Amino acid sequence: MNTRRVTLCAALLVLLILGVAPIALMFARSLSVNGAFSLESYQHLLATGRSWQLLSNSLGLAMITAVICTLVGLPLGLLFAKTDLPLRRVFVLLFTLPLVIPPYIMAVSWSDTLAPHGLASSFFGPATTQKLSGLLFGSPGCVLVLASTFMPAVMLATMTFTRTINPRLEEAARLSARALRVLGGITIPLIWPGVLLAATLVFLLALGEFGVPTFLRYQVFAVESFTQFTASYNFGAATAAAVPLALLTFLLLGIEWFALREKIQPLRPASESDSNYHVSLRSYRVPLFALVSILCAIVVLTPVLSLLLQGGSTQSYLRAFRVVSDSLMRSIFLAAIGATALTALGFFTGYLIHTRGLSIWRAVDAGTVLLFALPGTVIGMGLITLWNRPATNFIYATPLIIVFGYLAQYTALTGRVTVAGLTLVPASMEEAAATVGANWMRRLGLIVLPLVKHALVAGWLIAYIFCLRDTGIAMLVYPPGYDTLPVRIFTLMANGAPSLIAAACMLMIAATVLPLLGVAALVRTQRRRRLWR
Amino acid sequence: MALIVFDCVSKAYSGQTALHDFSLTVEPGQRVAILGPSGCGKTTVLRLLAGFIAPDAGTISIDGQVVAKNGKILQQPEQRHIGMVFQDLALWPHLTVAGNLEFGLKAQGISKSERIQRINGILQLVEMDTYLRTRPAQLSGGQQQRVALARALVLRPKALLMDEPLSNLDEELNQHLRGELLRLHAQLGFTLLYVTHDRAEAVEIGTCVVRMRQGSIERIVSTEELKSR
Repeated sequence: MNTRRVTLCAALLVLLILGVAPIALMFARSLSVNGAFSLESYQHLLATGRSWQLLSNSLGLAMITAVICTLVGLPLGLLFAKTDLPLRRVFVLLFTLPLVIPPYIMAVSWSDTLAPHGLASSFFGPATTQKLSGLLFGSPGCVLVLASTFMPAVMLATMTFTRTINPRLEEAARLSARALRVLGGITIPLIWPGVLLAATLVFLLALGEFGVPTFLRYQVFAVESFTQFTASYNFGAATAAAVPLALLTFLLLGIEWFALREKIQPLRPASESDSNYHVSLRSYRVPLFALVSILCAIVVLTPVLSLLLQGGSTQSYLRAFRVVSDSLMRSIFLAAIGATALTALGFFTGYLIHTRGLSIWRAVDAGTVLLFALPGTVIGMGLITLWNRPATNFIYATPLIIVFGYLAQYTALTGRVTVAGLTLVPASMEEAAATVGANWMRRLGLIVLPLVKHALVAGWLIAYIFCLRDTGIAMLVYPPGYDTLPVRIFTLMANGAPSLIAAACMLMIAATVLPLLGVAALVRTQRRRRLWR
Repeated sequence: MALIVFDCVSKAYSGQTALHDFSLTVEPGQRVAILGPSGCGKTTVLRLLAGFIAPDAGTISIDGQVVAKNGKILQQPEQRHIGMVFQDLALWPHLTVAGNLEFGLKAQGISKSERIQRINGILQLVEMDTYLRTRPAQLSGGQQQRVALARALVLRPKALLMDEPLSNLDEELNQHLRGELLRLHAQLGFTLLYVTHDRAEAVEIGTCVVRMRQGSIERIVSTEELKSR
């Protein structure tokens, strides 16, 4: 076997051990009681009417969230990618903010906003605020929080796919039709499979989310599974409650894969000379700007401002920092380690998928996406099933288990970013190096890696954000004394002071956003330098 | 009256001149071939005329009406009644051949019966009438060229712009389609602006050839003159 094949097989093995094995073992264990085959856990689950109620709540919440995200995210994505709307880059950053922080933080902030002395009360008065607050705790509140959190996924997907359309297709239509008709007749149908994929991911993310429904007291399967595990330590029941989520994920992604695999347009590398098709909003520019500003103020700025105010004075923030600093530092450290490992594993899986390096490249691609779409709690329970045993305690009892969880769930992110980066590199680059006698490792290190370095940096950042915001995996597997900041805030929510929770949430937001702003500033400086040259 | 007039038109991209003081007049029914090396501004001429970009300076008129002037687009692309065949053809992959032709007709508010009549008529002309329900990806390169041409002509444009549409085809097919284009021009009598970097192609298709270099017209020669050299 050559080095290339051995390396790709090793990457595949890591994925199998860290991602597939825990889920398979968890499922197998849910089918046995005292070592014998039994469907008792499932019988118990299906026997109660409560299960069907949970299922309908879960599906309803996920469906409404996905529909709202598509209805809002698609037009916003088109506005930001295709038009001359003022401040569109700032809007993209602001609307993306909720996606990069743990969803339950948005729930906390909305709860603060609608509290008796919260921000909303000073605008609408106590009576209206009380009514709104009543709506927050239940399905409308869950929909509001999850839709504002996951909407950026559809918005960003719309922007990405829109930019990969050959602009000539839209210009050809523009010769005979108005801009709006071109969007409706050409642009949207071309990006629709990609948007549908993003909407499906939103559906699955909402289906597996447990933090928001727990905080807003709405009973869904993800909460049931989490509660069975943490409160009752009933592993069988917890697994049985998690399996419907996993099966739904399998089913939906399977349908999506078969229905859309030929329809998603391949990413077209944008050439420097390509002038992307843009729509001038003309007289609609100001009204649309006002509309987007209002939406942004409601779904992003209000809750964040509310948290900031609830956090109190500088002293309160310093106090909060002292209380959560160990968790914060641990979170940043683990996220950095996780992102680095994910970048490495993602590079090899991405390379495997892009070059079709092994015959099962399609399965690897589908498998990583499936693991990404699975609820974090399901991955967490799988990890416990596999690693919680004396022989592997040297891993399970250390924060390494959290990093394993990150690798299991988020490889799809760095893998996909690598594939996107590799698409821009002509195969002839590596082939040219081969013809002059460079072996695979040398070709990879000296040709391919430098050419995809920007994609790898982007992948690292995305992975860092997802590791930092992760709650589901860390909540279930963190060893005693090694909690992360999202876990610490989540536990503080039960009995911590609201100002402390708000300040800790703001610290969490800062830890996520600051590195992003740092990289953005670095990229801007580099661009300016290049222009000066 | 001239159909198309470029009057001292200039255009730059990020400070780099693409077109400088470009003036050209095209009469109705004329076949103009714009010839020049890559990057000389040929495609910019077509994009300005189609209304995708505005000139930094100068005036563009179509049929006596000023459509763009000094950085401003005064008439949107769909109001100019210009047809275009792109270098990569830009056939919409999610629509059938009929769908590709019908999109523009629908957008122009043409009745269903007339749409059907026009689509069938033009597809018969380009000998593609048996491919109504076929998607572009299922067609050969030559067939795709014919559909792109039909899509542009079905709208009965005042002028047809072609941006090196035959450059990706083999010589034999290229020759054949040039003949087809001339036949269609003889039948329909449209005004043609044909961009190419191939001298032989320019001489065969144009009744006059505009030679461009570095964003300016080097000279305008009649095909007869070129052929006699």
